[in-house]
Formats: sequence, structure tokens, C-alpha cells
Amino acid sequence: MIKKINLLIVVVLFFSVQQGISQEWLVPADKQNVKNPLEYNLENVKKGKEIFMRECKSCHGEPGKNNALALTPAPPDVASTTMQKNSEGAMFYKITTGKGIMPSFKATLSEDERWLLVNYFMNFNPKKSPVLVVAPPVKATLSAQVDADKKLVTVFAEFKNKKGEEEKLTETPVNICIERAFGNLPVGQVITNENGAADFKIPNNLIGDEEGFVTFVVSLGEGFEAKKVVLDKAKVGTPKETPKLIRKGVIWSTNDNIPMWMLLSYLGAIGGAWITIGYVVFQIMRIKGMSKG
Amino acid sequence: MNKIESPEESRKLLNKIVFDLTRSIVKKDELTRFWFFILIMFSAVGLWGWGIQIDKGLGVTGMRDYVSWGMYIANFVFFVAVSLIGFLISSTLHLLNISWSKPISRVAEQVAIAGVALAGIIIVNDMGHPDRLLNVFIHGRFASPIVWDVSVVMTYLTISVLLFYLPLIPDLAILRDRMGDEVPKWKMKIYSILALGWNGNAKQYKTIYHAMRVLMILIIPVGLSIHTVTSWLFAATLRAGWDSTIMGPYFVAGAFVAGSAAVVMLMYAYRLRYGLKEYFEDIHFDQMGKLLVFVSLLYLYFNVNEFLVPGYKMKAAEGVHLLNIFVGRYALMFWSVQILGLILPIILMLFRFFRKPLPLTVISVVVLIGAWFKRYIIVIPTLEHPFLPIQNVPAEFHHYSPTGIEIMITLFSFTAALLIITILAKLFPVITIWEYAEEKGIDKKYFSEQPKS
Repeated sequence: MIKKINLLIVVVLFFSVQQGISQEWLVPADKQNVKNPLEYNLENVKKGKEIFMRECKSCHGEPGKNNALALTPAPPDVASTTMQKNSEGAMFYKITTGKGIMPSFKATLSEDERWLLVNYFMNFNPKKSPVLVVAPPVKATLSAQVDADKKLVTVFAEFKNKKGEEEKLTETPVNICIERAFGNLPVGQVITNENGAADFKIPNNLIGDEEGFVTFVVSLGEGFEAKKVVLDKAKVGTPKETPKLIRKGVIWSTNDNIPMWMLLSYLGAIGGAWITIGYVVFQIMRIKGMSKG
Repeated sequence: MNKIESPEESRKLLNKIVFDLTRSIVKKDELTRFWFFILIMFSAVGLWGWGIQIDKGLGVTGMRDYVSWGMYIANFVFFVAVSLIGFLISSTLHLLNISWSKPISRVAEQVAIAGVALAGIIIVNDMGHPDRLLNVFIHGRFASPIVWDVSVVMTYLTISVLLFYLPLIPDLAILRDRMGDEVPKWKMKIYSILALGWNGNAKQYKTIYHAMRVLMILIIPVGLSIHTVTSWLFAATLRAGWDSTIMGPYFVAGAFVAGSAAVVMLMYAYRLRYGLKEYFEDIHFDQMGKLLVFVSLLYLYFNVNEFLVPGYKMKAAEGVHLLNIFVGRYALMFWSVQILGLILPIILMLFRFFRKPLPLTVISVVVLIGAWFKRYIIVIPTLEHPFLPIQNVPAEFHHYSPTGIEIMITLFSFTAALLIITILAKLFPVITIWEYAEEKGIDKKYFSEQPKS
């Protein structure tokens, strides 16, 4: 009887522990109330965002967008109540220790960096006023052209101001990329001057396609809503070398470097056979003519 | 070959020969209809399976990443092999003036045409995208054995058709002149067109002998190429079991075995069905039996070379492959094929009794079945053992077994080949009448005479 009760206790304990693992992430009371040593201000929130984008976004997604990875248990969105009901101390504890598929960041991030992350999370806390506000994107127009002789990409940017007038976009970074087989490769960034213009000096060693053509993609960074400018095939790069994968002299090869004797043998054999067939067909046709004679 | 002097006797004998040899054309009974019905039904089922395969893709077959050549390619090699007999009997033996082979040459040509035509179709069966067939010709590499194979298969088919047609022309004239109401009008029209206005003058005979001779010589290199190139599809790779220098002659010898067996079966069928006992005589079966023994011994010799030499060395990859077929997964199939399909027939056919028509036909059936499975053993086990380990793939990728649809399409190839042979036998005499009559001593001048009716 006692044995049975013992077994029952073990089973109940086992299941309760299981339940605890899958649902509740308990934080020790002393860790719960630890105060954040860093001040909640714009600078610290920005730093926290930077760390978040680097270390956390791949699983948790972007705050408020509910685009976390489909894992079990699901990584909560930073702006959600699941996240925000945690105290600052609890957040710090969970980042530090990790649990299940959530890794521990004790070794990866310094204590300060972990607190900076908590600072960033506070930006989405309903009890606090956000210090980092993302402004709606500014509508802008971008134009660009390539000067192949001077090896320059010239960029010009404008935006619509609040009155709805076109205004030059100054002191703004513009990204220069080139199109490659599997995506756009960033090659540089230029800042527009007081006229909204900027020049990108094309490096001399830039590799283009087989004939040296390069396709530039010019775009504005975050915070702007502007169409990318694609400058199709400018002859400003050095031609890409395409090594012949099959060395010459190999018998099995493409038609481009087939050994001449092989081509002639093939064509000679097949041609000879078909010429003979043609001769026989001609003889057959002659038979008909012979019946009249 | 004594010349019959009396015109009366000549005419009488010729009439009898024509009557006997056109029986296959005239005969039209329930069994004929039933035979056509069976063949067309099975072919239609196979075509339906092919439709499914084209619709759903090659995933409906058992072929996967590793074993990407399955039953179709084995079947292709088998049909190419069977077709090679046309070149041996109707060209080589003919050129050597071996007279017993003459009545058989048209049977051999029938087998050749059906075999090589189906070989071409089977390759298309094996394509996931048959609509891209033309790309082989547009973008094919001239250095690829696949392009050579396609070229040579088409050449051989053309030559086989011509070699079937040329000796047929005088026969067609005989049919045109002598057949009457017992043959439907459309058939008579075909004879009349294909006879090319043949009236049997000396110039015409000279031309036809000349053209036949040219073709018989041409078919020797082409016939040897067709199966040698087919063997190179395998031998030009580094795969264990295929990487062999004797693959060409090994395939050619094996082809003669399969083809001779097929010809014996067909001879027996004609002899029984069309009452041609006096034409496919016991001596023809006896000689075919001797030919079969000879080519089988040749094939056995190549088999010993093909398996003993690498088996003696047991190189790493080769050893895995050989153990697999000697004592592994394919052991039963391999030893059955070698013993029942090769060694036992050789021993039996050394005795005169087993070269009689019925025993020889039974042996030929076994040999032909063995020949089919031999191709299966040549193609599939090698692919199950790539040089790099098979990893991280579903279990079904490791081994190949054909699916129902593959078997349906393979059955189609057999029924379609039989359909071609049946149609040829129903349209044209199965033995060359004029050659046969001449052999019996009847002068050519009687061929073009109209019979007195």
C-alpha cells in the first residue's frame, strides 16, 4: 500500500515538474525585484535595440509585428503582454539563464548589455512612456546615373515636406549595391550634400559579369519610403573570369572543346552510313523506272 | 539445288509455295482476332500507365536519386540486344552463303525491326519530359555516348526496314499478280504501290542484288556499333560493375543469345500457326540450336572474363558490388540467370534431341527470360552502390524495386513489339517466296507469270 502511495507521489511530482517546464518559468523571488542599474533614456534604449537586432530578432522577431519564429514554445513578441508582465529583474534573469530552446546569454552578453536589452524592452512597456519613437517613413524620390568614363555613380534625392513641396534631401545616407546572382551586394554608402546630391566613386577592381557589365541598385536607408533605382548594365567593372571547368583534351566534353578527331569520326561514321542509305534508296527508286524499259 | 527443267513441274511447285507462304496473310479466324484483341488491350493499358507517368512525373516509378536507371533501361538494353539478330542472320550468314539461314532471314528482320523500334520508344518512356526529346538533337554533345546511341539506333532502324523491304519487292509483285479476292482491296493496293512496278527483268534483279549487298555490308558495322555504343553508356563511367573494357563484345555476344532465342520462338509459332512444317524444317531448328550453342558459349566465355577477373582482385568498390550479386541481394537472380539461362541450355542443346523444334523452343523461352533478367542485373545493382555513402535520404532511396506503372509500361513494350511482328506477318509472307522458290530450283521467269485460273 505504502509503495503504491510512494509511486503515486512520484508520478504526481513528475507530472507537476513536467507542467512547470512547459508552462511556467519561475523566477526566484530575490531575482524578481532586482533593480535596473542603468537609466531608462534614449541613449540606452538605442543601444539595447542594437543588441536586440543582432542577438534576439532572429527568433523573437521585430517588436509589435508578431513575426517570431514558429517554435514550440513560441518565442514571445517583445511588445506583447506575455513579455511585458515580467518585472525588469525577471527579464534580466531569463536572459541570463535561458530555458529550453531559449539559450543562456550569460557568456555571450556582458551584464551591462543584458540590462541594456531590458531597457529596450521597457520602451514597449504600457506603464512607461516610450523614449524611442519610430517616425512614419518619409516619402522620397531617388534618382541616379552612372558615368562610365569618370567611373562615378551620381545620386540625387528629394522628399516631400509637410507642406507637400519637393525639397532636397540633405545629409542622408544612400546605399549603393550591385546585383549578384544571389542578391544585392553592398559596395558602399554615400551621404547627400546640401544639394541633395552625392557621388560614389566606383572602385577600379570591381568585378562585373563576363563582359564587365555591372548593375547598380541605389536605395535609401530606414525611415524613407523611396523606390530603389536600378542602373542596368553599366560597363564599369572588370570582366569576370569564367574558368573552363573541363580541361581541354578531355574526350568527354562540351561541343565547344570537343577534340576535332572525335567530331570528325562521329560525323564521318554517321554521315557515311546515311549517304550509303541514300544510295540504296536511290537504287530502289530506279527499280520503278526499269519496269518500263 | 537442282534446276527443275519441266515448266509444268515448276509452275506446280511455285503455286504450292505461294499458296503455303501466303497462308499467314489469308488466314483470318477467331484466334487471329483474339490475338490482336489481347495485344491491343495490353498495349492500351501500358499507354494508359505512360499517360499517368507523363502527368505525375517519374515519381510514380521506383527510380530515385541513386537508382536513376531502372527497369526501363534494362528493358531498353534487352530490346537493342534482341534486335541485333537481324544483322547476324540476314546479313552475316547471307554473305557467307549459308543456305539454311535464308528462309529465316525475314523472321530475323521482323525481330530486328520490332526490337529496335521499341528500344527507341523505351528510351522516351524513361524520360520525365518526352516533350524535350528534340533537345537531344539541338543541344546534344557530340562527345556523349547517349548522342551516339540515339544516332546509331535510328540508323539501324532505317537499315533494318530497308533490308526487310528490299527482298520483299519481288514477293510483293508475286502477291500483286497472284492474289485475288481472298485479300482485301487495301492490302492489294499496298502491294501494288510497294512493288514499284516490278516485272522481274534482269536489270531489276541486278539492281536489287546490288542494293541488298550494299545494305548487308553496311549493317555489319552499324549493327556492331548499336550494341557496342549501348554498352558504352555503361562502360564509359567509373562505376563498379560497368567500368569494364570488354563491355562491348560482352554485350554483342549476349545480344546474339537473346536474338537467336527470340527467332527460334517466332519460327516455332509460324510453323505451328501457319502450317509451315515443310519450310521451317527440323534441320532449321537443328541449325539454329547449334548457332545458339555457339553464341551461348561465346557469351559464357565473356561472362567468365567479366566476373572472374574483377572477382579475383576484389577491388574495394568492385568487391562490394560483386558480393552483392554473388551472395547478396541479387544472388538468386544472378545464379538463376547464369545457370538456368546459360549453362544448362548449353549442355542440353549439345544433344540432338534438344535441338528438335519443341524442346528448342522451350529452351529458347528460358534463355530469353534469362536474357531479360541479365540486363536487370547489369543495370540496377551497380547504381545501388555509389562510391560515396548514401546518407540522409528516405529508406526507399537505398534500393530499387519497380512499381506497378513501370511493369505496365514494360509489358506494353512487349505487346507492342509482338503487335509489330504480327502486323508484318499478316501483311507480308514470313519467308521470302522468290528466294525460297529459286533455292528449290524454279527459274525466275516463272515468278512473273500470271497463274492460269
